[in-house]
Amino acid sequence: MSPTTGTRRRAAAALASAAVIGLLSTACSSGGSDGAADSSTLVAYTGQAGDYQINFNPFSPSRIGALGTIYETLFFYNKAQVSEPVPLLGTEQSWNEDGTELAVTLREDVTWSDDEPFTADDVAFTFAMIKEHPSINNGGFDGEVTAVDDTHVVFTFDEPAFLKGPDLMNTPIVPEHLWKDVNPVEDVMEEPVGTGAYLLDEFKPQAFTYKANPDYWGGEPAVEQIRFLALSGNQAGADAIAAGTVDWQTGPIPDIQNTNQNFPDYDAYTQWQNQMVLATCSSVAMGCEGPQTDPAVRHALYYAMDRDQINSLAFMDTASEMSPTFALTPSQDEFVSDAVEEKIAPAEPDLDRAAQILEDAGWAKGEDGVYAKDGERLSLTVEIVTGWTDYITAVTTIASQAAEAGIEIEAAQSSWNEWTEKKGSGDFELAIDSLWQGPAPDPYYLYNYFFDSESGAPVGESAGNNYARYDNPAVDEALDELATLSFDDEARQSHFDTIHTEIVRDMPYIPILTGGTTSVWNTADFTGWPSDDDLYAFPAVWSAFDAAEIFKRLEPKG
Amino acid sequence: MSYFLRKLGFYAVALWAALTLNFAIPRMLPGNPVDILLAKLQQRGGTVSQETREAYALLLGGGDSGPLWQQYLDYFKNLLRGDLGVSVSYYPAQVSDVIAQSLPWTVVLVGLSTVIAAVLGVMLGAFVGWRPGTWLDSLVPATTLLAAVPYFWLALLLTYLLARVLGWFPMQGGYDVALTPGWNAEFIGSAIQYGFLPALTIVLASIGGWLLGMRNMMVSTLSEDYILTAEAKGLSPRKILRSYASRNAVLPSVAGFAISLGFVVSGSVITEQVFSYPGLGGRLLGAVQNNDYALMQGVFLFITLAVLGANLVVDLLYGLIDPRTRARS
Repeated sequence: MSPTTGTRRRAAAALASAAVIGLLSTACSSGGSDGAADSSTLVAYTGQAGDYQINFNPFSPSRIGALGTIYETLFFYNKAQVSEPVPLLGTEQSWNEDGTELAVTLREDVTWSDDEPFTADDVAFTFAMIKEHPSINNGGFDGEVTAVDDTHVVFTFDEPAFLKGPDLMNTPIVPEHLWKDVNPVEDVMEEPVGTGAYLLDEFKPQAFTYKANPDYWGGEPAVEQIRFLALSGNQAGADAIAAGTVDWQTGPIPDIQNTNQNFPDYDAYTQWQNQMVLATCSSVAMGCEGPQTDPAVRHALYYAMDRDQINSLAFMDTASEMSPTFALTPSQDEFVSDAVEEKIAPAEPDLDRAAQILEDAGWAKGEDGVYAKDGERLSLTVEIVTGWTDYITAVTTIASQAAEAGIEIEAAQSSWNEWTEKKGSGDFELAIDSLWQGPAPDPYYLYNYFFDSESGAPVGESAGNNYARYDNPAVDEALDELATLSFDDEARQSHFDTIHTEIVRDMPYIPILTGGTTSVWNTADFTGWPSDDDLYAFPAVWSAFDAAEIFKRLEPKG
Repeated sequence: MSYFLRKLGFYAVALWAALTLNFAIPRMLPGNPVDILLAKLQQRGGTVSQETREAYALLLGGGDSGPLWQQYLDYFKNLLRGDLGVSVSYYPAQVSDVIAQSLPWTVVLVGLSTVIAAVLGVMLGAFVGWRPGTWLDSLVPATTLLAAVPYFWLALLLTYLLARVLGWFPMQGGYDVALTPGWNAEFIGSAIQYGFLPALTIVLASIGGWLLGMRNMMVSTLSEDYILTAEAKGLSPRKILRSYASRNAVLPSVAGFAISLGFVVSGSVITEQVFSYPGLGGRLLGAVQNNDYALMQGVFLFITLAVLGANLVVDLLYGLIDPRTRARS
């Protein structure tokens, strides 16, 4: 599931309604009517569908907020570009050489919003608590943590744990004096106490409001209040932008390229993180069946796509190019192996090459213009979720492009639940989906999530992230090796080289494009939004840590 | 008396069947809540690693263990105690809390607009039927047209015209969120202002049915002998309209009204979607999308109880107001 495409698709579920109101609104927006009241309050819409149920427990999967804004982490990792972590509650972090010990220096003179001092004991307590409750231990923390003095903590591990660092540093720190008596799994924390730049002002099921923390260690933020609205979904969000009642939402609006002309108070900004793919049930050894188990078929499809056409027809030109190595481009280009000839998936189709690949692998064109091998026609079914219209359009487009290359593609729509079930159990040939990034701007995480055989499973059993069931010992080994190396170790590149060579050759996920995440925000009332020149956070309002950084940087105008 | 006992017995069986279906249907849905939750989490920018998956499976997986018959028994036991379980999508909130938070909005909005639509429709229908062949007859195609237009389209059109172009009403929400809900004039005023447009769409979309039904019953009632008798006795037309024609013609509408009252609780999923209105319909949609069995069951339970309850009341009332239904037994 990709953020943008996911939300966009849900928006699209409103079908005709979306288009209608959208068109009407773009046609008639005289713009300028600023409903979002005074500029000291920023109104945000995260895509929340339906009312809020109070829950400010940062460890709860159904939390509605507080992460980043109220409960701070030790460091902030900017996923939008390869960069150093930004110090928050921590000021410095250093690993020992074998990656079994991480020493973190903490910020001095920080207080909780109930005026108690923040100390290393709080950090030690937070991690001990997480370890004690496996059901909130999302990062799989298995080390020990000790408070050396008030401003120093040390994490120790049995094995090298360099790559777990970002997950640890991204853990919200909670106050020991309040949390020692609560059940961190089930308590909803109606009155959150944190160190962050904002405090909870009031909660209502239809909206909740933060107010600036006057005693924040980094200085009181300029935006005095932030209100999060509950609407029925992204379509309602787009309507709210048109009506001027929301200042920031992340999701598509009609005619997004001309946002600023249609709504002079607003601007749209896109960043690319989610790599859209045709995921295949790739491994015969794991029990997959169908033509897509032949890597030649996957490569042929890869070359048959006209990515420019897909981008304009399905994604309103908001998607961008993608590397077959799955390193984000351009921000992670430095990791791409020199051995990979084609650094970017071709924008134009190469039908001769697709035909060559298929014929070399023993496929022959039948009378109906479709390739076949051993009596099996090269016909594939792509699983799509009903109502995710951009993906449906993309698959329709790919199907007509693949037909030119002698590959038959059919689309099968099903509900989200059913689609998830099919992916998990391996009951599919192709599925259109997108792959997500990890906690830090480093390609390791994506490989670990989607290419590691450990998170796969035989067909019929429930697989984890690696539902393509890719199983390659060379990649597994390279991933294991990478886990023992620190982020700045030069030896990492050789392992990335291995992974790139292997996955470009096997291509268990056929690259399409990198999906754009588009934020629409109010530039008339607020300045300081991320831009190409200063991409200090990933611009998405639903990405809690990034949004918290952005809130701190914004300034009301006038 | 046996009439009432038989009715009660029938409703007891219907209730049991409904509760059993309510137990079975959510379990036939594909997918599982953990996957959906993870997908949502990931959409909100969380990183979903293998460890995350394990942690959430542990967090949410504990509830539905044990053989099916055991779950079935537990389900009834908990229902008797009024315990609807914990909602997965709003973990760790209780289903009863989630429903209690949404129910009032739905009951007030959909309930009031259903009552308004029925009363207006029946009254207009009586008048149209009383004077067939006049210009009033054009109300019938006009209102049925509104009922025939897909509801979401009508709602969007009205939103566009009244909220976007004319700016008379707010487009979304249940009240001005800057206010604090409570029994004060400011909040109630705001709730009425926000609720007017959704209520208007519901009334417009459903009034046609009431009007048509009442008008047709009226026309056929007017050809009855007792109307002629009443006229022959020299009663005033107004008296005949009220006491002779309308009272007999309204019977089917009363039954229909009870059934639609029962469905008030289920809310209007589309209304709540279009207007981002807080209420049970939105919760139900969310529960289905998230495979939140407990919440689904809770909402269905309320709908079932409301529909059965409304029908029971009408059945019993019907026995009183229309002796013919009793006489046959």
